[in-house]
Amino acid sequence: MAAPAPVRGQPIADDGDELRFCSTCAFASSCLAAGVDKSRLRELHMLVEHSGPSRAGDHLFREGDPFTAIAAVRSGTVKTYVTDADGREQVRGFFLPGEIIGLDAISESRYPCNAIALEPVVLCRFSFPTLAALATRMPGLQQQLFRLLSHDIGNAALLAGNHTAEDRLAAFLVGLSRRYAARGFRADRFQLTMSRADIANYLRLAAETVSRILRRFQDERLIRVRRREIELLDLPRLEKSALAVLRS
Amino acid sequence: MQVNVTPRPHGHIAPMGVPEYFDAELLRRYDRPGPRYTSYPTAPQFGPQFDERKFREVARRSNAEPIPSDLSLYVHVPFCFSPCFYCGCTRIITRDRARGALYLSRLMREIEIAAPLFDRDRDVIQLHFGGGTPNFLDAGELSALIGGLGRHFHFSDRTDRDFSIELDPRTLAAGDVRRLAELGLNRASLGVQDFDPEVQQAVNRIQGVEQTLAVIDECRASGMRSVNVDLIYGLPKQTLDGFARTLDALLAVRPDRLAIYGYAHLPELFKAQRQIEAADLPDAALRLELLQLAVQKLTDAGYRFIGMDHFALPGDDLSKAQSAGSLHRNFMGYTIHDDCDLVGFGVSSISHVGDSFSQNFRDLPTWERALDEGRLPVWRGIELDADDVLRADVIQQLMCQGEIDAAGVEERYGIDFRGYFADALAKLAPLAADGLVTVEPLRIAATSRGRYLLRIIAMCFDRYLAAAQAPRYSKAI
Repeated sequence: MAAPAPVRGQPIADDGDELRFCSTCAFASSCLAAGVDKSRLRELHMLVEHSGPSRAGDHLFREGDPFTAIAAVRSGTVKTYVTDADGREQVRGFFLPGEIIGLDAISESRYPCNAIALEPVVLCRFSFPTLAALATRMPGLQQQLFRLLSHDIGNAALLAGNHTAEDRLAAFLVGLSRRYAARGFRADRFQLTMSRADIANYLRLAAETVSRILRRFQDERLIRVRRREIELLDLPRLEKSALAVLRS
Repeated sequence: MQVNVTPRPHGHIAPMGVPEYFDAELLRRYDRPGPRYTSYPTAPQFGPQFDERKFREVARRSNAEPIPSDLSLYVHVPFCFSPCFYCGCTRIITRDRARGALYLSRLMREIEIAAPLFDRDRDVIQLHFGGGTPNFLDAGELSALIGGLGRHFHFSDRTDRDFSIELDPRTLAAGDVRRLAELGLNRASLGVQDFDPEVQQAVNRIQGVEQTLAVIDECRASGMRSVNVDLIYGLPKQTLDGFARTLDALLAVRPDRLAIYGYAHLPELFKAQRQIEAADLPDAALRLELLQLAVQKLTDAGYRFIGMDHFALPGDDLSKAQSAGSLHRNFMGYTIHDDCDLVGFGVSSISHVGDSFSQNFRDLPTWERALDEGRLPVWRGIELDADDVLRADVIQQLMCQGEIDAAGVEERYGIDFRGYFADALAKLAPLAADGLVTVEPLRIAATSRGRYLLRIIAMCFDRYLAAAQAPRYSKAI
């Protein structure tokens, strides 16, 4: 039989080359707005190094490692976490294709957390000193860098408030939906690439609670869950529930 | 029993028809070997690269799903007191009851090792004891077994949970059924095959009508929700008159479900079948008449055709699920429970966890040794790739609903149906010409004639059959 066409898999941002930016690149639009294309970046010694793929479970960096580069996720999902005094893991966040990891290392010059690949991951690394120098010459890039930094801080505060488990989970789903949409992927259907234990840990809930609430969302026709796939059937109602947490 | 584990006579097929569509000529023409599709890919695709480590990994991944599936547990008890000559199951003939106790102790070991792999908030919604003869274990041993499972897993308290057991009416003691019902079992399946004494003699299974009907009564009196009876056509010495009397005797008490399997004579594969005289077997014409007779009588008695070889009363859960489009199919046959992860215990049992199938060692000593060494007795299996998952979905739709929602498949998997399944559609063309199936751009549906040859239609979507036409499957009729 003829080789079947590929069945739809995970969204990947793997379409860049020597001359073109990846479609999800966090910096492409700032650079292009400043008239800097990819070949111009090379002339400016802005080396963009693609690394990976790392396998699921591989560490991309560990807490305390010296920080030299920030990295954009080209494909796969990255989880960051720290380990508390009792040896318990605390999930800090999840990073999707097109998102930047390592921003929180800038101030200390060392990574303040661990990063692990949840599935095969390809990264795009930028030397931070070069990027910072470049930013001084490109106001758009500088702004984008600030935007990313403030977004990263906002992300961390997102789930710290005293919200119900339902609202937090709704905010989590709406947040993922917006992040996928911002990178050009489907907003209403995506794979949950992190385990329910990771989601529970991130939202400070019990794993059973995560499943119980998702099941209730499903019974209320807010979502449909199939294995790892989530379909958002009623985004307006989810957003309403998420509003208290997301505040926008 | 779990069907499709190995080719097995009474796990083996008979497309059924309501009489007006019962096209004998067509059925004869399509009488060719094929799998039963209790799984896709089918068991011959299982391989040794799927081992204990893989099993642990797929179990871990299944816990990581946002809403982990409920669990369905299967326990295989391989022992029988005497050999039924038609049988192709994994079984061991012995009269030594002590072997049951030894087997039970290792089952407990297997439960202890496997259960912790599954998160405790995953409810057991389905439990089935198959064989062999599950009631080779006495009521006390079965009680200990269910107790062990209940300690290590969380049994659902939903009223629609299915806890079922295959019963051999010949080996039940007084009060056994009541005790089993008290343990929580709410469905029973009884092997009958045929009440005709000549047939019973020829297959070495002597089982009285009164004895059988008494067990059905006892199941009901004990509050069991449903009783299934298995019959087989195509057995040696079988006659239309004798089979009619068997059907009449059973229909008088209206079992909730009936399965009419076709006997497949494969003596080169199944040693017990060598006891059967080939000359005593009904010819192809009589086989069809026997099948037609059963279909006629069941239809007249108000039973609904569920699919493959299964019939149910209109009020039975399977009939209701079929009407609601929520019927599913797994290794234990048709079920109302969607997308469970199936965990098999005991020699030869099959598991279906996440996108994988796996099977335990089929021979007792190897299964025992693994457990004695503290290992899970995983023999072989397969991890489904994206193409397998897609085809499994399509085949499941066909086997359960009798049709494929091509538009829905395109949407869910992001494919172009006509392009992706070009080869399958080409294979469907002659079946469509014969009036078995209608092929429209958005929907492929078995016709009322084709519903009784579902697996012939499903075979068009089986990627592995194209590679090698296996001779090990029974014929479709």
